[in-house]
Amino acid sequence: MIGELVVSLFILVGATFALIGSIGLVRLPDFYTRLHGPTKATTLGVGALLLASVIYFSALREGLSLHEALITLFLFMTAPVSAHLLVRAGLHHRVESRSRAPAEDHGHPDPEAPI
Amino acid sequence: MTLLLIVLLPLVGALLPAWFIRWGRNQSALAAGVVTGTAFALLLSLSSSVFAGEVPRADWTWMSSIGLSLAFMADGLGYLFAFLILGIGLLVVLYARYYLSEKDPMGRFYAYLLLFMGAMLGVVLADNLIVLLVFWELTSLTSFLLIGYWKHLPEGRQGARMALVVTGGGGLAMLAGFILLGNIAGTYQLSEILQMGEVIQAHDLYAPMLVLVLIGAFTKSAQFPFHFWLPHAMAAPTPVSAYLHSATMVKAGVFLLARLFPALSGTELWFFLVTGAGAATLLFAAYVALTKHDLKGLLAYSTVSHLGMITVLFGIGTAAAAVVGIFHIMNHAAFKASLFMNAGIVDHETGTRDIRRLSGLWAAMPITGVLAIIAAAAMAGVPLFNGFLSKEMFFEQAWALEYQFVEGVPWLLPAIVTLAALFSVAYSIRLVWSVFFGPQAEDLPKPPHDPPFGMLLPVGILAALCIVVGIVPVLVAGPMLAVAATATIGIAPPEYSLTLWHGFNIPLLMTALAFVGGIVAYWKRWAIIGLHEGPLPFPEAKRIFDGTIDRLAAFSHGTTAALENGSLQRYLALLVGAAVVAMGWPFLTGSWSAGPGPGTPLDGMSLVVWAILVGAAVATAALHRRRILALVVVSVVGLMLALAFVHLSAPDLALTQLSVEVVTVVLLLLALHLLPKEGPSEDSIGRKARDVGLAVAAGCAVTAMAWVILTNPVDTISGFHLAESYPGGGGTNVVNVILVDFRGFDTFGEIIVLAIAGLGIYAMIDALGVPDRWKIGSPDDEVRYPLLLTVITRLLLPLALLVSMYLFLRGHNQPGGGFIAGLVTAVALILQYVASGIGWTTDRFVRDYHGAIALGVLAAGATGLGAWLFGYPFLTGWFDYFELPIIGEFELASAVLFDIGVYLTVVAGVLLMLVNMGKIRNASAAAPDAADGEG
Amino acid sequence: MLTFALTFGFTAMGLAMLLNIVRLVKGPDTVDRVTALDTLYINTIAVLMLVGIRIGSDIFFEAALLIAMMGFVGTVALAKHIRRGSIIE
Repeated sequence: MIGELVVSLFILVGATFALIGSIGLVRLPDFYTRLHGPTKATTLGVGALLLASVIYFSALREGLSLHEALITLFLFMTAPVSAHLLVRAGLHHRVESRSRAPAEDHGHPDPEAPI
Repeated sequence: MTLLLIVLLPLVGALLPAWFIRWGRNQSALAAGVVTGTAFALLLSLSSSVFAGEVPRADWTWMSSIGLSLAFMADGLGYLFAFLILGIGLLVVLYARYYLSEKDPMGRFYAYLLLFMGAMLGVVLADNLIVLLVFWELTSLTSFLLIGYWKHLPEGRQGARMALVVTGGGGLAMLAGFILLGNIAGTYQLSEILQMGEVIQAHDLYAPMLVLVLIGAFTKSAQFPFHFWLPHAMAAPTPVSAYLHSATMVKAGVFLLARLFPALSGTELWFFLVTGAGAATLLFAAYVALTKHDLKGLLAYSTVSHLGMITVLFGIGTAAAAVVGIFHIMNHAAFKASLFMNAGIVDHETGTRDIRRLSGLWAAMPITGVLAIIAAAAMAGVPLFNGFLSKEMFFEQAWALEYQFVEGVPWLLPAIVTLAALFSVAYSIRLVWSVFFGPQAEDLPKPPHDPPFGMLLPVGILAALCIVVGIVPVLVAGPMLAVAATATIGIAPPEYSLTLWHGFNIPLLMTALAFVGGIVAYWKRWAIIGLHEGPLPFPEAKRIFDGTIDRLAAFSHGTTAALENGSLQRYLALLVGAAVVAMGWPFLTGSWSAGPGPGTPLDGMSLVVWAILVGAAVATAALHRRRILALVVVSVVGLMLALAFVHLSAPDLALTQLSVEVVTVVLLLLALHLLPKEGPSEDSIGRKARDVGLAVAAGCAVTAMAWVILTNPVDTISGFHLAESYPGGGGTNVVNVILVDFRGFDTFGEIIVLAIAGLGIYAMIDALGVPDRWKIGSPDDEVRYPLLLTVITRLLLPLALLVSMYLFLRGHNQPGGGFIAGLVTAVALILQYVASGIGWTTDRFVRDYHGAIALGVLAAGATGLGAWLFGYPFLTGWFDYFELPIIGEFELASAVLFDIGVYLTVVAGVLLMLVNMGKIRNASAAAPDAADGEG
Repeated sequence: MLTFALTFGFTAMGLAMLLNIVRLVKGPDTVDRVTALDTLYINTIAVLMLVGIRIGSDIFFEAALLIAMMGFVGTVALAKHIRRGSIIE
């Protein structure tokens, strides 16, 4: 079964990437580098899993299964935006780079402060 | 039908004078007069059949399961009362037109008066105990409005409140009595109950039932010791007093005694309670009346006294006495209405009602004086006036008494009666002589003169009646008395003679004694008044009443404050604690235990999900003071819960959970922005221990319950729903079919609640003065609206709406439906608000969420009503399958229309709440800007 | 083969989710936690895909779709709150 093999492969690849992304989220030293894990590796991993699902159900139902494509589209459009907004929020908080930031000490966010 | 119309006409017609007042006072009065007159004419159209001994009836089944039907009957008694209510009502309408001043809102007066009239008519024409009670309480409510009509007067408000508390409270006791009576008799239909006197009186519950019913009657008819509200109700405008205290409100109590006379009277208990209360009231009120200096106060106590007399007559329990009671009801209505109106004229033309200041008005107001003399003579029982007849007959009954209050003192009641009559003569003389004769008063607030014809006419008509009935009673009052008495007693009344002269007998002696004594008492009145005001201080009822009310209020406040101290934590603790006890009890007593069912196997993934769920839930509680953090953790709980739903094969719940979760997060973020970042720490160690204990106990209890339910074989309703979903509701998604079809009515209620909540939040925020247009940031404001976010969300919107439509359309058969689709649409639009701002979004999408909410509720409601068109009950579902070329077979179901209503309401409700929450902050932030700009 | 892949997939995703929770607990900053939450959302989608393949049913795709949508909206709202305080302005 070629199909099953391909699906399995995608699952293995996808799960591995997603795991790596989450490991990166934990292991990387500061907020800005940590953000790379989920935004890149995890998105790729989930993309691969979605592809696995597309192939699996297309084979099962003998027709193109496109629900997953919609999810993929959603994810690939939104992941960069989330990351972008989070970085801006982090910059606003002056989260320190390359070192463990001190415990949350931010005061009330000043809406007029420059980035 | 005529009967129902008679009752409904004043109730509905009450709108007319309130509307017509815009064209003038005459028009308003005319409208009230026409309404009353029409009802009166309708009543008169029944005369021939009533006098022929028939009983016109009308009966509509209302709630057959509890024996309630909208039943009316016009037997002689009901006809008599309706005649008094409408006839005197007509006179009062005329009188009030001239009595009320320019400043008084006349339209409102007539509206209240007609409402009260309709309620009274309902009481006297009802053929069902419950219907009677409903109208009875309506008279309490509407009389509250009438008595408190001059709401700028504190006495008016207090008097109205007192009347409402006493008569409304009595009505509650009566309700209990009626329910007992209905149970004893096995029916609430009055005409049936009246046939069952012996059964009722032999029943064990006769005594408590009688006491409860009598409390209702005595409070209404101001019998001792509930009499005190009536004098305080004198703060009402005089037309109201003339109406309420002659023919209507207070007569409702004695009407009830007459109405239930065949069913309840004749026992020893009845005699002692009714005659006892009546005799006490009769004497005591007659004495107090003499000591009052206020014209209306005197009349108020005389009214109480005369009601006592009628009560005594019904209490005696014989048919003959009941006939006299009916007769005196008629006579009293005539002369007392006339006297009240007369007092109103004096007040109106001189500016005072104080008998001590009034004197010698005869010269200035001769016509008024003549009319006052006639009515007062009737009240005192002077021969040739109607009061004399009924009073003589009353003496006769009191003398021929069967029972004795005190063994061996047969003269007690006759003595009381004669003494009361003596005071009655005295206060009647005072009413006339002190006011109209003697030296002319000098210092009156207004120069007195006779009033306009319109005010004199009603008084004159009533005074004429007093004379005519007094001289030719058989001709004028005979037929009406005969049918009313027959209806009251239930059988043909015994022989009685309505003649002036019965020969020299005991009643004549009593009359003579009363007159001589009364003249002496009037002559010596200042000694009596001095005694009353000095060494014999009466307990002041108002003070006692106010004290009781204050103590009750303080007790209620205390109880409420002790239970409900404003701490939400405490309420929740009580609630959860109670639930734990309720759930734990069956386990402790052993009536619940685990069943034989197999457990669900646990796999690694589930373990992870459950572990995270539990951990996050605990963390939320632990971190609740760091609010943003807690919110993040709550999101984890929500997400894991959605996964758990997926795992347990509940995709609809998962979808709902996910959408509700994010709406909640947005709402909380909006709220958190207005709050400090950290919650206050007020918790003592004890409180924390209590809360932890409760939480653990509640968790354990719920776990145990779920365990019991899942392991025991239970036959739930799910089987029915699963089986019926497709054949009955036309959908394969059971959850959705339940929502829009099986339990559509619940859903309908829920979207209405949602709509109300949305509008409520809007109204609350609107009241904060949020401007409709607020300062909009420049479109290229990169800080507020980051370009990347703005662009991407605009691309996402059609995609999200597509998803929403998809969920909506297939909802009936697959996971989805109007509720979830509505949430998805709402979230998609919220995203636009977040990304592009209120100004941009509002300009491009629906502005009018109110309209959309209304449309949604209406759509759902209309779908439900649509079923009526086809002769099915509300919200009956319909579906069918159709074949179309190209598309193929498709389903049309009424549930889809209903779902559209749900969808619209959800979208608009959610957006209305969230967007308005967002406006608060922006308004407060924008306010200084606006001030700068304008300053 | 597929069975093995699924087992591996579930194990890896479970581990990944636990790691997200670790970051969520450690923080240190709120943005770290929001990032962890966002990642958790995305990993959940992956888990749903795996569940779907295992039971051979696409009944959970709507749920996955909504997680993708709602996760994004939640993250945007939280990020904007941290950045601006007011999220609808």
